[in-house]
Amino acid sequence: MIEVTELKKKFKLTKDHKKNKVDKIDPREDKDYFHSVRNVSFHCNKGEVLGLLGPNGAGKTTTLRMLSTALKPDEGQIIIAGEDIIKKPLFGRKSIGFLSGSTGLYGRLTVKENIEYFAKLHGMNKAAIKTRCDELFDLLDMHSFIDKRAENLSTGMKQKANIARAVVHHPAVVVLDEPTTGLDIMTTQTVIEFIKGLKAQGTPVIFSTHHLDEVALLCDRVAVINEGISCFDGTVEEFKQAGNSEELNQAFMNILTEKRDV
Amino acid sequence: MFEVFKKELKELLRDKKTLIFIVALPVAIFPLLFAVMAFISSQATLEAEQKVHTYAIINGEYAQSFTDKVFYHKSFQLYKGEHTFNTVAELTQAVKAGTIDMGIFLPADAKQNLDDAKQSQWQVVYNDAKAINFLFDRVKELAEEFGNNLRAEKLLSYGVSVEQQSAIIDPIKVVKVDTADKRENLGEKIGGFIPYLLIPLVLMGATYPAIDLGAGEKERGTLETLLLTPITRTQLVLGKFITLLAASIATTTITVLSMGIWISIAITFIDLDVVKTAFSSLRVLDLTLIFIILLPVAAIFSSLSLAISIYARSFKEAQNYMTPLSMGVIFPIIVALLPNVELTAKTAFIPVTNVALAIKEIIKGTIDYTLLGLIFLATVIVAGALLAFCVKWFNKEAVLFR
Repeated sequence: MIEVTELKKKFKLTKDHKKNKVDKIDPREDKDYFHSVRNVSFHCNKGEVLGLLGPNGAGKTTTLRMLSTALKPDEGQIIIAGEDIIKKPLFGRKSIGFLSGSTGLYGRLTVKENIEYFAKLHGMNKAAIKTRCDELFDLLDMHSFIDKRAENLSTGMKQKANIARAVVHHPAVVVLDEPTTGLDIMTTQTVIEFIKGLKAQGTPVIFSTHHLDEVALLCDRVAVINEGISCFDGTVEEFKQAGNSEELNQAFMNILTEKRDV
Repeated sequence: MFEVFKKELKELLRDKKTLIFIVALPVAIFPLLFAVMAFISSQATLEAEQKVHTYAIINGEYAQSFTDKVFYHKSFQLYKGEHTFNTVAELTQAVKAGTIDMGIFLPADAKQNLDDAKQSQWQVVYNDAKAINFLFDRVKELAEEFGNNLRAEKLLSYGVSVEQQSAIIDPIKVVKVDTADKRENLGEKIGGFIPYLLIPLVLMGATYPAIDLGAGEKERGTLETLLLTPITRTQLVLGKFITLLAASIATTTITVLSMGIWISIAITFIDLDVVKTAFSSLRVLDLTLIFIILLPVAAIFSSLSLAISIYARSFKEAQNYMTPLSMGVIFPIIVALLPNVELTAKTAFIPVTNVALAIKEIIKGTIDYTLLGLIFLATVIVAGALLAFCVKWFNKEAVLFR
């Protein structure tokens, strides 16, 4: 289980930013800082898939970067297996498998070398690496390109390799930031099946997406962030009720509008 | 840390562009460049020297023996064209027009002038900006020979014997007794240029891979992937730092070896005894000392270039930042080349300048080992401080996620 409580993160405004400031007043901006994440809380239990939703610029990526320990929150807690990973970032990195659009692969290494490298950095021994790699290559149907350099892969192949890289160390929690963006139907299906497999194994999955059909297909819970603040955290059914619609898209729009009006 | 190092090295060896800068450039391009430059320059000079140059002389009869010597000189050919020359202005115009290569103007009879206790002033008209400036030296040599003969005849007519003449003309002759051996002498002359070549190469060996390891990783998104792994930032920096250090040392080693091989090849062809003596007196210990003193310099450059590279948002931005770094490195080396800048307890604490001066002293064979130890220590401290700064830099979100 992962529990995120009252996360906050602000960034100092650069001189250029201050100089080029437009008249529109952003509620997240004060004189010196941009409060990217103002108060975000959600949780995801064992065997659940949580859909993290929000419009562009809502603070999702910053939140996920804090989950990955790449960024340190100013306030709040991220608890995995009873430990606050903000205080124990190395434990957090061992516990989380993270994939986002900004996590790339080493182009001059083959797919196999890439995945083996990250497994080694996670402290896995040779035998464990081999077993896990074979398992992932089967699961994600990767055998045809494991000896190709990453720079020569198609988008779909790259994403599969990236997913394998993210979960090679058997993480306790998996965080996927828009994992199906830009993929063809076949690869999307493989990714969806893979997430279902993680869920079946009891691994909590936090899954950020703009495709609400994928939420309907995969998620048990939904968390919505808007302008750096959590505006919903509950089951998919509760999400529909809160948004007064059986249609997820409509429910999402209603929740955002309602919160904005409030 | 060693996993990061092993991976970085593997990637580096697969990057053709970086390999060109680290291996191919020092091995092939530099000697090739020098060879081409030497060839072009020697060809131009040879061509100019072998060519027969046309000349015209005004009032040649005033110094007939001189005129005859110029006439029979293999480099000169008397102008036999339709123009006639009577003044320096006409000679100048003819040289400018390319009608003749050189003009000589003898204004009066030199012998008569000497009898009248007057000095003769001869004028040689030629284009000094061309590769034919040796013409003046040749004419001057012949004119001086003519003048010496005139003087000798005159003094003889006064009853001064040939033996007395040299004592009267040159009563005191200063003879140089040089205590410097050939190595020290040559070391003083070329010793300053060796660090000028070596130190920028150490820098180049670090900067090119550094751009890939820092800004390159940021641009490709692999840095964030790496930050997700359970290794500390210190381990991460050390892994990258050791890679850059290895690359920098490899470049230096390859360059020194390449230079050594090319020098030994060149010596067998040109048979320069002075160069042979100077380089054969360089012991393995001296080369080892140069190598050891360059190690902390490589560490300084590796830390600096890594810190700069990780700050940059992109490959291009990193390349832009590296230019001032290169200039910042060249400047202290130039200081070491300046006259009267010696290795002292004070200069031993000026980063880079101290190493450049130490290399010069090692080549001369006059290095003070206490100062060398001091320089090594000072450079190691600077390198350590910069490495610590680099680790701190890697922990800053504002740097990693600009």
